[in-house]
Amino acid sequence: MTRFLSGLLRLRRGPWELLATLLIGLGVFMLMQPFALALYTWSFLVTLAGTVMFIIVSHFPD
Amino acid sequence: MSAYSVTEPTGRSKLVAGLLVTLYAVVTLLPLVWIISTGFKSGPDSISYPPKVVFDPSLEGYVNLFTTRTRVAAEEFQNLPPPETWYDEIVRDSGMVIAGPSRFGERFLNSVIIGFGSTFLSIFLGTLAAYAFSRFKVPLKDDLLFFILSTRMMPPIAVAIPIYLMYRELGLSDTHLGMILLYTAVNISLAVWLLKGFIDEIPREYEEAALIDGYTRFQAFRKVVLPQAATGIASTAIFCLIFAWNEYAFAVLLTSGTAQTAPPFIPTIIGVGGQDWPAVAAGATIFLLPVMIFTILLRKHLLRGITFGAVRK
Amino acid sequence: MPDPIAAVARATPDPIARKVRGLSDRAIAWLFVAPTIFLLLAINIFPLIWTVRLSFTNYRANRPNEEVEWVGLRNYVRILTDDGIWANMQTTAHFLFWTLFFQVLIGFTLAWLINRKFKGNDLLTTLIVLPMMLSPAVVGNFWTFLYQPQIGLVNYVVELVTGTPASSFSMLGPGGYAPWSIVIVDTWMWTPFVMLICLAGLRSIPDYIYEAAEIDRASKWRQFWTITIPMVLPFLMLAVLFRGIENFKMFDMVVLLTGGGPGNETLLASIDLKREAFEKWRTGYSSAYAIILFVTVFGLASIYVKALNKVKER
Repeated sequence: MTRFLSGLLRLRRGPWELLATLLIGLGVFMLMQPFALALYTWSFLVTLAGTVMFIIVSHFPD
Repeated sequence: MSAYSVTEPTGRSKLVAGLLVTLYAVVTLLPLVWIISTGFKSGPDSISYPPKVVFDPSLEGYVNLFTTRTRVAAEEFQNLPPPETWYDEIVRDSGMVIAGPSRFGERFLNSVIIGFGSTFLSIFLGTLAAYAFSRFKVPLKDDLLFFILSTRMMPPIAVAIPIYLMYRELGLSDTHLGMILLYTAVNISLAVWLLKGFIDEIPREYEEAALIDGYTRFQAFRKVVLPQAATGIASTAIFCLIFAWNEYAFAVLLTSGTAQTAPPFIPTIIGVGGQDWPAVAAGATIFLLPVMIFTILLRKHLLRGITFGAVRK
Repeated sequence: MPDPIAAVARATPDPIARKVRGLSDRAIAWLFVAPTIFLLLAINIFPLIWTVRLSFTNYRANRPNEEVEWVGLRNYVRILTDDGIWANMQTTAHFLFWTLFFQVLIGFTLAWLINRKFKGNDLLTTLIVLPMMLSPAVVGNFWTFLYQPQIGLVNYVVELVTGTPASSFSMLGPGGYAPWSIVIVDTWMWTPFVMLICLAGLRSIPDYIYEAAEIDRASKWRQFWTITIPMVLPFLMLAVLFRGIENFKMFDMVVLLTGGGPGNETLLASIDLKREAFEKWRTGYSSAYAIILFVTVFGLASIYVKALNKVKER
């Protein structure tokens, strides 16, 4: 856990990619879940943010 | 090898596993066997209930697939000259006469032209790009490779809207060239990724030796790398061919006549009062058989092909 | 693997490069990569940018002469607040979840069985794999025949096994079976895909790990959960992500099986998009729809490539 946090602070690729992956996963879940229309409405922005984030952080050093 | 190994399954567990997998294989192949056998049934046999497992084989489906037929009035039917060929005879038996060839031949030929055309182009471009990615320092290499792969992931319907508009402007709708270019664009990602894997496996020393012998880079590529990569190129080509052969979404949206391939055509084969199932099955058999044969030939490289070269064995 | 000859070759300071006549390596690299990139820009990226542009308009492709209005984010807002499209996404989710569930379950089991290396496993593997290489369109079309209520093979087999009369239910018609019918065909087709990748994962586990576990007296059950599953997991992830992406954009097989029906029971997102774009001709609106699907697929694809590289390192 501390390694994860220090990785985030030092802008390392691994932990940031994990965050972006989680964000994309969350967006996809929100898109297709049957529970609340509001979640569906905001899903696109979450996925988009995750995807853009992924493209950026995949250029961070390992 | 020791006589007893903990990782070697026991004879009985092997037997049980073998039986279960055989059972699965039988169940999973049943629909395929059904397609092929329906192609050899007569119309009534194909829709009888309970389904007929044993039946008189008939070529009616195949004849219907390749011909269009008309019904003629009873007295006119009596006055017709005797049937000249075996397929005439089959059609006469159902009280009709052959009016002409169907469009299946053309559609099948289109599939062949577009399949081979796009495969050739993707392999040609893909080999060059794969070689460059494998051997040289290309700036932004990882990004380019990801970009290339991501293009394959695009949902066809999403890309089809602007391509439809673009092709309409350029006069490429419903042309062989348009479809070849489109399938090349889809296949090239697979070609680059797979071929890069194959070329990566060829030791660089061969080329370096050739370079020392006074070959240019280009000659070394042509005379050293290409022959070494031949198996890889062949199996990549088969993968591209199978994809182009099977593709449906683009074909149904962007072609309607001249360049229509077989997959959008086969479901439209209609007989009297609904689909002519023996003819559909005959078309499906002719269409699927080459792919089955290719799959068997490819079995050693299948895994590579479906994982873009990531999993080798 | 470090190779002495290669190491020497690499250490040789560039006399080779200088000896090369003709084009420099850099020029060749560009010359070789450029056509591919150009083709992809022309046939993938340019259309994509065009789609983005269209998604902010009310353009209709069947009325090219009508004036095109810039509508800003209206298309997106409409789609993302539409109950009907939300329902289609749930239909897609149902299809996605159950196909992945069955394919992983059956695919992994098969791989695990085949890995017992019984006689003839190679031949059986090749036979089992056949369905996934076939044209989804032709397969979808043919399964409508197998699913016919009066005469179909599926109904006949169900009658044989359970005694339910074959004409009393319809797999593709009303009665709620249709969403399961498409799951069955997709599972039939793509289980071998998951199986092949799992098999590769199982075969990548070196024997000595199990031997060590055996010495430690770990039970078979424990070995399965602490060795087999974690070692196969990266491969399984790869298979699941790829099938997930493919089934999220599923079109060909399902459109020929059910066409989205009965009612909207099997109206997957791609089929709905096709209707909007090529039947109702709401080009601007469907462009926004397409972008939403595209971004989702692109996001999943980036995770997929990451999983791919992870497996590659093994």
